[in-house]
Amino acid sequence: MNHTVKFNLNGSPVEVQVKSNEKLLDVLRDKLGVTSPKFGCGVGECGACTVLIDGLSVRSCITFAVEVEGKNVVSLEGLQADGPTKIQKAFIKNNAFQCGFCAPGFVMSATELIEKNPSPTEEEIRHALAGNLCRCTGYKNIVDAMNEVSQENKEEGR
Amino acid sequence: MENFRYLKPAAIDKALSLKKELGSKARFLLGGTDLFIQMDKGFVVPETVIDLKGIDELKGIEKKDGYVYVGARVTWTQLIESDLIRKEFPALWEASDIVASVGVRNTGTLVGNICNAVPSLEGGSPLLAYNAAVLVKSSQGEREIPAADFFTGVKKTALADDEMVTGVKIPVKNGKFGEVYVKMGRYEGEDLAQAGVAVVVDDKNNYRIALNAVAPTPVRAEKAEALLSGKKLDESLAEKAAELALESISPISDIRSSKEYRLHMCRVMVKRALMASVSRMETGKPALNTRLI
Amino acid sequence: MKEELKVVGHNAVRLDILEKVTGAAEYTDDLAFGPNLLHMAVLSSPHAHAKILSIDTSEAEKLPGVHAVLTGKDFPEKFGLYLKDKSIFAVDRVRQVGEQVAGVVASTYEIARNACKRIKVEYEVLPEIHDPYDSIKEDAILIHPDLGNYEIEPWLDAQPGTNIAHLRKIRKGDVEKGFEEADVIVEGEYHIPHVAHTCIETHISVSKFSMDGRLTMWNSTQSPHTQRNIMAHSLGIPHKNVRVIAPPIGGGFGGKAGISMEVMAAAGAKACPGHPVKLRWTREEEFYNSSQRTGLRNKVKMGFKKNGKLVAIKHQMFWDVGASAEYGSNVVNATGFSATGPYYIPNVYIDSYACYTNNPICSAYRGFGYSEFSFGIESTMDRAAKKMGFDPVELRKINAIKEGEGVAYDVPMNPNGLIECIDKVAKEIEWGKEEKSDDPNKIIAKGFASVWKAPAMPANESSSAFIKFSEDGSINVLVSGMDLGQGFLTAMAKIAAEVLGLTLDKVRVELPDTDRNPYEWQTVASHVTWSCGNAVKRAAIDAKNKILDIVQRAHFIDKSQLYLEDNGVKCTTQESFFIPYSDFVITGIQTEHNTWIGGPILGSGMFMPEYTNAMVNPETGLGGHPMVHYTVGAGAVKIEIDKETGRIKVLKMAEAFDLGKAINPDLAKDQIVGGFVQGMGTALWEECIFDEKGKMLNDGFTDYKIPTILDVPRDMNPILVEVPQPDGPYGARGHSEHTMIPVMPAVANAVANGLGVRITDVPVTAEKIVMRMGKPEFMEEKK
Ligand SMILES: Cc1cc2nc3c(=O)[nH]c(=O)nc-3n(C[C@@H](O)[C@@H](O)[C@H](O)COP(=O)(O)OP(=O)(O)OC[C@H]3O[C@@H](n4cnc5c(N)ncnc54)[C@H](O)[C@@H]3O)c2cc1C
Ligand code: FES
Ligand code: FES
Repeated sequence: MNHTVKFNLNGSPVEVQVKSNEKLLDVLRDKLGVTSPKFGCGVGECGACTVLIDGLSVRSCITFAVEVEGKNVVSLEGLQADGPTKIQKAFIKNNAFQCGFCAPGFVMSATELIEKNPSPTEEEIRHALAGNLCRCTGYKNIVDAMNEVSQENKEEGR
Repeated sequence: MENFRYLKPAAIDKALSLKKELGSKARFLLGGTDLFIQMDKGFVVPETVIDLKGIDELKGIEKKDGYVYVGARVTWTQLIESDLIRKEFPALWEASDIVASVGVRNTGTLVGNICNAVPSLEGGSPLLAYNAAVLVKSSQGEREIPAADFFTGVKKTALADDEMVTGVKIPVKNGKFGEVYVKMGRYEGEDLAQAGVAVVVDDKNNYRIALNAVAPTPVRAEKAEALLSGKKLDESLAEKAAELALESISPISDIRSSKEYRLHMCRVMVKRALMASVSRMETGKPALNTRLI
Repeated sequence: MKEELKVVGHNAVRLDILEKVTGAAEYTDDLAFGPNLLHMAVLSSPHAHAKILSIDTSEAEKLPGVHAVLTGKDFPEKFGLYLKDKSIFAVDRVRQVGEQVAGVVASTYEIARNACKRIKVEYEVLPEIHDPYDSIKEDAILIHPDLGNYEIEPWLDAQPGTNIAHLRKIRKGDVEKGFEEADVIVEGEYHIPHVAHTCIETHISVSKFSMDGRLTMWNSTQSPHTQRNIMAHSLGIPHKNVRVIAPPIGGGFGGKAGISMEVMAAAGAKACPGHPVKLRWTREEEFYNSSQRTGLRNKVKMGFKKNGKLVAIKHQMFWDVGASAEYGSNVVNATGFSATGPYYIPNVYIDSYACYTNNPICSAYRGFGYSEFSFGIESTMDRAAKKMGFDPVELRKINAIKEGEGVAYDVPMNPNGLIECIDKVAKEIEWGKEEKSDDPNKIIAKGFASVWKAPAMPANESSSAFIKFSEDGSINVLVSGMDLGQGFLTAMAKIAAEVLGLTLDKVRVELPDTDRNPYEWQTVASHVTWSCGNAVKRAAIDAKNKILDIVQRAHFIDKSQLYLEDNGVKCTTQESFFIPYSDFVITGIQTEHNTWIGGPILGSGMFMPEYTNAMVNPETGLGGHPMVHYTVGAGAVKIEIDKETGRIKVLKMAEAFDLGKAINPDLAKDQIVGGFVQGMGTALWEECIFDEKGKMLNDGFTDYKIPTILDVPRDMNPILVEVPQPDGPYGARGHSEHTMIPVMPAVANAVANGLGVRITDVPVTAEKIVMRMGKPEFMEEKK
């Protein structure tokens, strides 16, 4: 079955022709040219494909493209209208990534966390990012960066 | 993955009449965290997928007439974010909080979990321990299935082909209580349960113990409950009960764990869950967010 | 001119972090190839060992959208890095479950996959071998009956008529006499399973044969030039007509070294000229058909004098290299030279066997075999210490190899800071201080290990570099080393900046493209900081000489008075003299006659260690100089063990490595943290599990568990020690792989220290601990 799916992608309305069985990850990457969500496993285990749908982090590799009809989909591309976000800046400052393949997924998951809980504790940070696998870093600098964001937000009274 | 017909009805009746017409050729879709992967691997090949996420009646958590109703569309994240669940059903809260990871919990649902009915399912033992009921509808009418009767085998439930689960109904507890869910995973990160134990105790010394991932379906440890019933818990009683609990389960060996280790761990977990439940009841502190295992 | 370093040795944000955090980095799969792109899928063998009787592709060819169907008969030639025993698609025989039997190129991946399902293959199943001990039995079925006919590097010693692809022997001193002299002998047998690299980016290649006969490949790779060389040879086209481009890579760890599935993509492209052809591994294929870490069964026997001094070691290693030894044979070789650990031992007997099995192919994996054998060595060191009443840290210090002492192949050891590493780690982990858990069910224990590793390379490995200036005085450094995440680009930038007096923001280092960037052997062996760093330094010096030459000619100032600083040229005798690079590096310098002196500034540099020699006596392993140098280090863990459940939580880690000179101290420490965590995965959970027919049962993250952010220690302490490497750039030597090596033995030693259970087969799972505790055969001997 074929569908015309209309949704908001990174702030702009888009319309795309898909079959029912097409995966959101593939449609974003191959049909809409949004390549920050990555293929890492295809079964919801690694978090590399994370995007936000109506503000919630979702694994686009196990989401049907037809399911986002009428939704707000945000990928890493859509977060940076005003340049790197506070979270991205902290990741940069802390050399948070090595190969960087997992980075877009981490930024998305971290963005959701900070929206919900602007100054999380370290264990809250770990709990929220536990679904994003990184093989390179040992996660230390990712946590350090997020602790800084949390601290900054606390100081700003968020 | 094969192509299929995707429908997203806005009303429950429409979904039910479609399901009646199509039977096993159609599948309901909630979060899809099970269904998508099964379809992608070719394990199930539905002709039609009926997405239930357009049906508002299936939303929400509500307390009414001595029960809490959890709609089919309620995700793990919504359960975790519900103060009601956190305060009154800490075992379910803990189980929800330990399912997968945020990205899966944001779409995956408790109802999808029990409908999928794999032995490791996290949602099963809390519901059994609560004596919850599964709410079922078809175009013919509706019925309630006690959670203990809902699971009939590995990936099998008491649902008929034309039936839909609309939600679950959990009795509200009166008086003091303490409860715990513990999971045996290989590590702290995301893992499917190799064993899970839910325990609910109250101040009249009623004990309810349920286990998942150690039998084809989630099970109650009835012999252990009978031993404990009416008695005040101490460590040696907890140990005896844990030993008896093993008689209610039939774990297998697989790549995640041997049968022997699962048995050993169930003994430890039941004992610890019992002790922790009673201590939580007595101190009034639901020690959420701390993993016992 | 001041001598102190301005850039090297200082911290800096890595050059590639911005593109990675913003999503700007375009990995291979992110590149757009347009609607002409075709997709490829591969049919894998369901059998571990079978003859292929027939392949019928007719049904697949009929499917609309299919462009080409490929099988082994189209590509009879063998390929490989050190031993040509591999086929592009299986020819006549499959040797592991998952081996590629056919490939389909089609307009979509879905069609290609469906077409694969329509290929009919008839097999005759053969007896299969899954354990190296079975592989070396006299009556074992031969997995490669043609071993004797394969092309092979002269320093490998294949044993045709057996399943042994290579045997490296060391016979130094007299081991029997050594054991006679020993007061205490400790023996043990160990087992290390296969583990997987699990880069988050799976292997991918996009290959295109253009109509003019050129092959272009965009590969996620550590080895662009090696891949070009192999492709040029196997396709019989000139090197200049093969172009390998390496976009950013989503992890390597050795798994993307050499060449594997890329040859299939090239084969697919050859069949469909004009079309780019994409082959991307699924996560499952990544597990069973890229490469895994070598499995090992080893027997370790070490003899000590009463004073703790080691006198003899006999170490027999039976490596499970899987169905091909094209790369794994070098793991076997390198460890054969080094399987003493970082200790001076006068009498050494080592046998290192590369055993073919019908398991997945094994090749390079961070540590290159040293993790595997060090587990046995370091377990033995702890057992010996207990038996003799020594502190395990003390025993390691007593035996730590010093500069000038002979290594296993009897060449003097390089300068090193092993004792300093051991001391610093012991101090950080508070070795000797007993700690108690608040929870009565739990105990706290510590474990220690010290290790070494040398780059494993052909004797004539080499690197080269170009530097070119632009109008604004910025430079592009062209190299073909790969930034796998280890910070290579930043290190090269710093070396160039240091020599040329540039600020880092003026430097860009390009990822490899074999058409444009000069030769690099491969980014493996933790050698590029050292080897390519030397080449970049020489290229920078070359550019510097040109700059000085021009300024000398234009300004009549003797070169010896000129120096480079602040993005320009200064003079020691005239304080006000300063010419910024932007004034002349392209345009030259104008003379009073309005003529111009100079021209675009370029530098080139090359490096090859000219003292190495792989041609040792095969019976003794002596007489050559097979390794360039060793990097040494130590690691320790503090763990909490739940006595009832066996579960381990690593509370704290400390690791110290002597990397000669830290070019990027921060990033060097990040290597220690990342490597430790990867090692911790293999110590506690990771293992490729197979059924009795050789099918991998955990070929996904559901059941192959790599550490998450919840599982890592909250207290991680990377420590850098700097005893300069005489031939390293600014004294640097590599340390990235090494960081994994101490973890498995440190964890097992901690468990033995805490509970008395000696685990000799990793991973050290909770289940093993509980099931073995108290059983005499698993309890550790004590003095
Ligand atoms: C990476 C990952 C990790 C996971 N980890 C865990 C874990 O730790 N613990 C755990 O318990 N689970 C785990 N799961 C599975 C868990 O996500 C699912 O069980 C989830 O809760 C199912 O809910 P869903 O809404 O996604 O169901 P869906 O996938 O939409 O549906 C599940 C099944 O129920 C049927 N169905 C759906 N709605 C109805 C209905 N109303 N009436 C009748 N049938 C219906 C569907 O047809 C399908 O067969 C994991 C899954 C993934 C992908
Ligand atoms: S690719 Fe989606 S979770 Fe791994
Ligand atoms: S930085 Fe490589 S996977 Fe995270």
